[in-house]
Amino acid sequence: MASSEHFKRNPEVSWRTIEGQSVLVFNREGEVQVLNEVGTYVWEHIGESIEIMAREIASEYDVSEEEALRDVEAFLEELKGSGAILLAEE
Amino acid sequence: MWRPSSKSLRARELFSLRRSELDTPLSLLFGRAMGKAHPVYASMELTYNCNLACRFCYNPVQRQNQRRTTPPPGPAKPPLTLEEILCVLDQLRDMGVLYLTLTGGEPILHPDFWAIARAAKERSFALRIFTNGASLTEASVARLAELGPYCLELSLHGATAATAEALTQVKGSFDRQMRALGWLKERGLRVYLKVVVTRLVEKELEAVKALGERFGFPVYFDPVLTPSDDGQDYPLDLRASDDAIRRLYSASGLNMGNSPFEREPGQYNCGVGTGTLHLTPYGDLQPCIQWKQAVGNVRERSIRSIWEESALLQEVRAISRQVPAVIVARVKEHAYCFSCPGLSRLRTGDPLRPDEQYLRVAQIRREAAESERHSLKTRK
Repeated sequence: MASSEHFKRNPEVSWRTIEGQSVLVFNREGEVQVLNEVGTYVWEHIGESIEIMAREIASEYDVSEEEALRDVEAFLEELKGSGAILLAEE
Repeated sequence: MWRPSSKSLRARELFSLRRSELDTPLSLLFGRAMGKAHPVYASMELTYNCNLACRFCYNPVQRQNQRRTTPPPGPAKPPLTLEEILCVLDQLRDMGVLYLTLTGGEPILHPDFWAIARAAKERSFALRIFTNGASLTEASVARLAELGPYCLELSLHGATAATAEALTQVKGSFDRQMRALGWLKERGLRVYLKVVVTRLVEKELEAVKALGERFGFPVYFDPVLTPSDDGQDYPLDLRASDDAIRRLYSASGLNMGNSPFEREPGQYNCGVGTGTLHLTPYGDLQPCIQWKQAVGNVRERSIRSIWEESALLQEVRAISRQVPAVIVARVKEHAYCFSCPGLSRLRTGDPLRPDEQYLRVAQIRREAAESERHSLKTRK
């Protein structure tokens, strides 16, 4: 699993954070995805250290750092699968 | 549960804001944003120049065969420069605007169109481009594909050159549009065709729908005409017949409204003053493309300060929030009725008085629904 630092947001996906939630518009597919508060946190910090993300999340929510790390990794995979993020070298 | 969850939904379903979809995350989110007057949609008229001369054009520019009683006012200020437009884009992005519409006139004719569109993409706007398509070439369609807008909304005025060009008044424009549609299809761009239903096109509604299907592009039909920006009524001379409107609402499978982002009847809050804003080529900020009143100019103040502090905009916001209750109270057929406060203001001076065109459509829709119910009963 690559860390968040290896990813970048796909420039083909338009987005804004509205009322604390990121709204992603997949321009080519015509689809929209709305992230919840934690998803928004991860989205806004794409490209940064995944360990710091997990630490921040663990300090805010009732979850261990290890569990947060696993879930963030899984979420990054999900974002990669949907094309919302790309490998940084792409 | 803290896990980062998310939900994917089709944009068309979300933006139609049908009652059954009001609990979707995006519509709830946008509803909340508009409740707090957070602008989500913006439109920019880049230029009033156009390569067509549509008889019903509402821009404040004299075109052929328009029954004007006074000439349109000349521009009071020079148009925004590219540098100023880029500054506008920065401000809209920082205010959280997500959907940006570039319109005109014909926006592609603006000398800096490509620089503006590219800058909008770089600022992560979901870009909608309103065009007539008649100036597109194979090369410019390739550039559009590279740009990657959310969609193009292309105005079409007939299924044949004779009908379309009776309105656009430019010979050859229909063939150019057809070629453009072919290239747009080849390049896989998302295109919505939009037909303003006039008495000129009303005999070809089904043919226009079939034309859209040949290219694989949905067609939207809008039976409401708007006066010119300066309040002249000549576009209304071209209103379609009651019979055509009846056919529109009794035919199956026709998309109604002026775009895929249109509200459904029963959704009265259009977002004027709360979720949308509009800019003219001269930097005047208006509540929306149809509410033709400058509430400030971007050369004088930041968009955020106009949005937050303009007394006029506060009034518009208050009116916008009264619209649902007023429609329900005043319109018998309110379940079938839209209302556009900007259009009402332009025509009657009273933004809360539903325009007679919407009332006429609502009445025809109610009659069609009753007739359908009656025939169902008779069959049983």
